[in-house]
Amino acid sequence: MHLDEFQLHQPESLPEAISLAREFAGQFDYLAGGTDLLPNYKMHLNPRPHLISLDAIPELHRFSPDQGDLGAMVRLREMEGSAGLASRYPAVAQAAREVATPLVRASGTLGGNLLVETRCFFFNQSYFWRQSLGFCLKADGDRCHVVPQKEKCYATFSGDLAPALMALDARVRLMGPEGTREIPLTDLYPRDGDGIRRTSLRAGEVLEGVTLPPPVQGLRSIYLKLRVRPSYDFPELGVAVALCQDGGRVSHLRVALGGLEMVPRRMDALTDPLVGSQLTGESLRALGEAIRSAVRPVHNTFLAPDYRRKMTAVLVRRAVRSLTEGS
Amino acid sequence: MTPAASGEAPAVPHRLIGARVPLVDASLKVTGRAEYTDDLRRPNLLVGRILKSVHPHARIRKIDVTEARKVPGVAAVLTGDRYPRTFGVLPMTHDETALAVDRVRYIGEGVVAVAAVDEETCERAFARIRVEYEPLPVYDDPKVSRNPVAVKIHERALRDTNLQKEVFQHFGDLPGAWRAAAHSVRVSARYAGVTHAFTEPHAVLAEYSPDGRLTVWSATQVPHYLHRALSEVLDLPMHRIRVIKPEVGGGFGGKSDPFPHEIACAALAMETGRPVKIVFDRDDVFYTNHGRHPTWNTVGIAADALGRFTALDVEALLDGGAWSSFGTVTTYYNGVLAMGPYQFPNFRYHGARAYTNHPPSGAMRAHGGTNIRYSVEVAVDMLAEEMGWDPTELRLRNFLPPHSTTVNEFRITSNSVRQCLLAARERSGWREKFRALPYGQGIGIACGFYISGSNSPIHFTPKFPQCTVHLKVDMDGGVTVHCGAADIGQGSKTILAQVVGEVLGIPLDRIRIAAVDSDTAPIDIGSYSSRVTFMMGNAAKRAAEDLRRQLVQAASDLTGYARESLECGGDRIYVRHRPQVGVSFLEAVHRAMEHTGALHASGSYESAPMGGTFKGARAGTAPAYSFSAYAAEVEVDVETGFVRVRKVWAGFDCGRPLNPQSVEGQIEGSIHMGLGQLLSESLNYRGPRLMNPSLLDYKIVMPQDMPEVECLLVGEDDPEGPFGAKEAGEGPLIPVLPAVGNALYDALGVRFLDLPITPDKVLRALEEKERREGRLSKPAPPAVMPVPAGGTDHAPR
Ligand SMILES: Cc1cc2nc3c(=O)[nH]c(=O)nc-3n(C[C@H](O)[C@H](O)[C@H](O)COP(=O)(O)OP(=O)(O)OC[C@H]3O[C@@H](n4cnc5c(N)ncnc54)[C@H](O)[C@@H]3O)c2cc1C
Ligand code: SF4
Repeated sequence: MHLDEFQLHQPESLPEAISLAREFAGQFDYLAGGTDLLPNYKMHLNPRPHLISLDAIPELHRFSPDQGDLGAMVRLREMEGSAGLASRYPAVAQAAREVATPLVRASGTLGGNLLVETRCFFFNQSYFWRQSLGFCLKADGDRCHVVPQKEKCYATFSGDLAPALMALDARVRLMGPEGTREIPLTDLYPRDGDGIRRTSLRAGEVLEGVTLPPPVQGLRSIYLKLRVRPSYDFPELGVAVALCQDGGRVSHLRVALGGLEMVPRRMDALTDPLVGSQLTGESLRALGEAIRSAVRPVHNTFLAPDYRRKMTAVLVRRAVRSLTEGS
Repeated sequence: MTPAASGEAPAVPHRLIGARVPLVDASLKVTGRAEYTDDLRRPNLLVGRILKSVHPHARIRKIDVTEARKVPGVAAVLTGDRYPRTFGVLPMTHDETALAVDRVRYIGEGVVAVAAVDEETCERAFARIRVEYEPLPVYDDPKVSRNPVAVKIHERALRDTNLQKEVFQHFGDLPGAWRAAAHSVRVSARYAGVTHAFTEPHAVLAEYSPDGRLTVWSATQVPHYLHRALSEVLDLPMHRIRVIKPEVGGGFGGKSDPFPHEIACAALAMETGRPVKIVFDRDDVFYTNHGRHPTWNTVGIAADALGRFTALDVEALLDGGAWSSFGTVTTYYNGVLAMGPYQFPNFRYHGARAYTNHPPSGAMRAHGGTNIRYSVEVAVDMLAEEMGWDPTELRLRNFLPPHSTTVNEFRITSNSVRQCLLAARERSGWREKFRALPYGQGIGIACGFYISGSNSPIHFTPKFPQCTVHLKVDMDGGVTVHCGAADIGQGSKTILAQVVGEVLGIPLDRIRIAAVDSDTAPIDIGSYSSRVTFMMGNAAKRAAEDLRRQLVQAASDLTGYARESLECGGDRIYVRHRPQVGVSFLEAVHRAMEHTGALHASGSYESAPMGGTFKGARAGTAPAYSFSAYAAEVEVDVETGFVRVRKVWAGFDCGRPLNPQSVEGQIEGSIHMGLGQLLSESLNYRGPRLMNPSLLDYKIVMPQDMPEVECLLVGEDDPEGPFGAKEAGEGPLIPVLPAVGNALYDALGVRFLDLPITPDKVLRALEEKERREGRLSKPAPPAVMPVPAGGTDHAPR
């Protein structure tokens, strides 16, 4: 397998990057660590003739976990090894450590992880393989092999950091030809999309960085990942929980899930009612079950969807329990 | 050397044999200096690529390559009609061609080969090739293939079915034994196909020179069969073909057939007159497969009231994929290797291997002995439970004794399976743990055996030894070893050096192992069936003994002492009872070369005739067998179904371990591979289509999941092995699967008979058990527990 030829641009500032984006509109991808993009290019999954590398833009590399300010080009290796990140936002450091392998984490970035291509075993295949079955909606084709009756792609969002950051109320800064905006991370992943455009990023927008609010007193967080093997594998399910208790009562609770559906999502509607209440084995079990029946994975990853749903309940329970136990 | 005080000849201890010698090529490999096929460069090198079939089964109506030939940079475009002669690793079942001829039989089969200046140009050419296919009915289920079919995948399939091979064997009186049995069990199990997943993808470089000679460098386990196939298909005499095996990054059976791409590459080189290299992508490796057969088997075991096995009844159905490959052997092995370390007076086997439109299955480490062993060992466990016996006791009662013959006339020589079992039982704390650990934790035991070199070479004509070794010494005193045995990472070069060095009493740095090159190396039939240490070791030992004779004569001439009183050691040849008197190795070499300028020696190995006279009697016969018994301890997360293997105690009989470090490496690697098949690896087919042709989606076990391994090397010297050695390359894989399977039963009270045992299957089984029984509980402990140490021996029958 080989990469098709492309032209590499290496802007040294954001304005320069954005003007290149304007110039090559529709003909380019931003390149961060390349650990997701380039393997996909090798499989001829929507390759573009221009790559705009973000690596030479100094401010994207900033890393100040103490200020809750993370540039998009921060490497996962830096995040997993950061004591500051681990003490203020443990779920994020844990999630970073759980990504892929040490080699991939040495190149892979925060921004790339949040914008990682969604996955499906009919999609992450060589050109030859896809040709032999018939191409699908997400690349070169016009139908979905997973849910054939719909004109929609159900590929699974498989990044580890997004649920962890969502659980901690992260916001993302986006910079593009039309200006700069900052939105909650949850809004980066619209749930009503066609599955092919996977984020609310506008044409030419760069994900500039992530901000995390300072953790409130007593906030604890955790990330648990389900996968067949303890390294290498993408999440078949990722559960992040942030919890704050006040005298045995829940004062703040967030559960976010990844690796399960087309987008990562936070389960506020199911967790908000627990605020102000005491967590019991019973309420925890009920929460797990409620979340399990709310999620709709499809069969396009290694483990079957019914199993992944069951595990959602188990991991949610385990995550919350481990946060309550130590407190 | 200090003289022996008593004046008696001191017993010379082995110096290199039994030592923990690091592999002789380790430094080259860890520094990246070892040269693999992809590292090789030749002037004017072209890149070869193969256009694969997108259809699982179709007639080829027409292939139009006119436009492809016009693409600038394309040097040759080759289709199957150019070299239509069939080949295959077994002489009786040639059904492969270098490129598809008239028909494609699986997704990924080669259709057109292109040589061009680079890969991009090859792909540009592919885009201009028009192949018209007429789809044919697709057979993806061996249960369908065994019945009458509308279209035969190969004309040579049996009768009106798609069966490639069928085997019936019956020894003794199985129905009678079954009727008379006091106890019996029957187990049916299913095994997904698995593949070798070696590190280095297949790679080949071929060059045809103007003097009409073809040179092929290939990542192969069996240079000799490649040599033959090239000659047959390309219609070139063998002496004009030179096959060289560079370093090989693992094979495990997946590089032991001659492959179509090797022949296609050579053909492209002949066509263009330029060197051509083909290196596979990982997905090509998956389509080429030749891995372990997807298998369905049923095992019945009967025993008398005293717990003696009376009958073994085996059925197996194998998914062979599109070609025969080693399949005839596989079909036999799945039955004849079922008896294993136990004695069965009555045995019946019905095996069948079906052609399907899957990529071909073939030989994979512990070929033919793995899946059937899991079923047998689980059945033994179940029988023990039914009888209320401890499973180790039941096994001890039924072991084949050393120096015996099986009902199907296997000649058994050295056999330390009893010691393996006792060691594993003792070290694992079996007595305290079996049926006694908390729910979710368990311990299991299983045994195994494997051939130490197939007794029958694949090609009988001409009648050559299975291995020959040449030694050549020049005036520099270096000993060059020429041998055709393929080191594919398993360490056979190191064994060669150890054996030669031991016999001659010289340090390893004097020994140079020449590359495997058919121009200079004598014949060896390849690295498969765990034959190399045994056969090559014997050949090398004989060659070195021949050389030693010449050198001792020279030393005798120089010292005036009789040959019988001389000894080789410490890089010298000295007088046994006066070790200070002697000559250096180099002095002896120079003396021996006087007036000839040459010093060489040869040795060979040919196994003794053995086996019965019935049809298929040769299958599974070997000059020796390795034996094994492993205990494994597991822990299961009962909420998620994840299995963790904590520790494996590996009792293994490889005779004398010539290099314990190397043996332990094989055992650990085997456990890694076996756990993959047991817990997570499978070739996932949806119909004819392989869903996971990548190392991300094909789940080999990660280092973090490796259990602690304690190797217990308890074998005694084998009477025929070199320095008493037997195989350790494949046998060590076999027992880990059933040991863990039985441990899972001990942990959970559930039998897992559908491999791999992925977490979702574990969880489903637990849910079913809870639904059925109302709770989750361990199986009951047996009434008969092992007798405390010392009193464990049951007299063999
Ligand atoms: C073997 C393997 C295993 C893996 N396992 C995991 C895993 O377990 N969990 C996991 O989460 N991921 C996994 N990955 C995916 C990937 O390595 C990581 O998600 C990584 O963090 C991606 O970062 P990157 O910088 O390499 O992204 P890139 O590949 O450079 O980019 C990914 C995408 O994001 C876009 N992009 C990147 N940065 C920006 C930006 N700042 N602004 C706008 N667009 C941007 C790119 O255009 C591209 O579309 C794995 C990858 C491999 C090869
Ligand atoms: S979900 Fe459907 S459209 Fe999306 S990648 Fe998979 S097969 Fe293609």
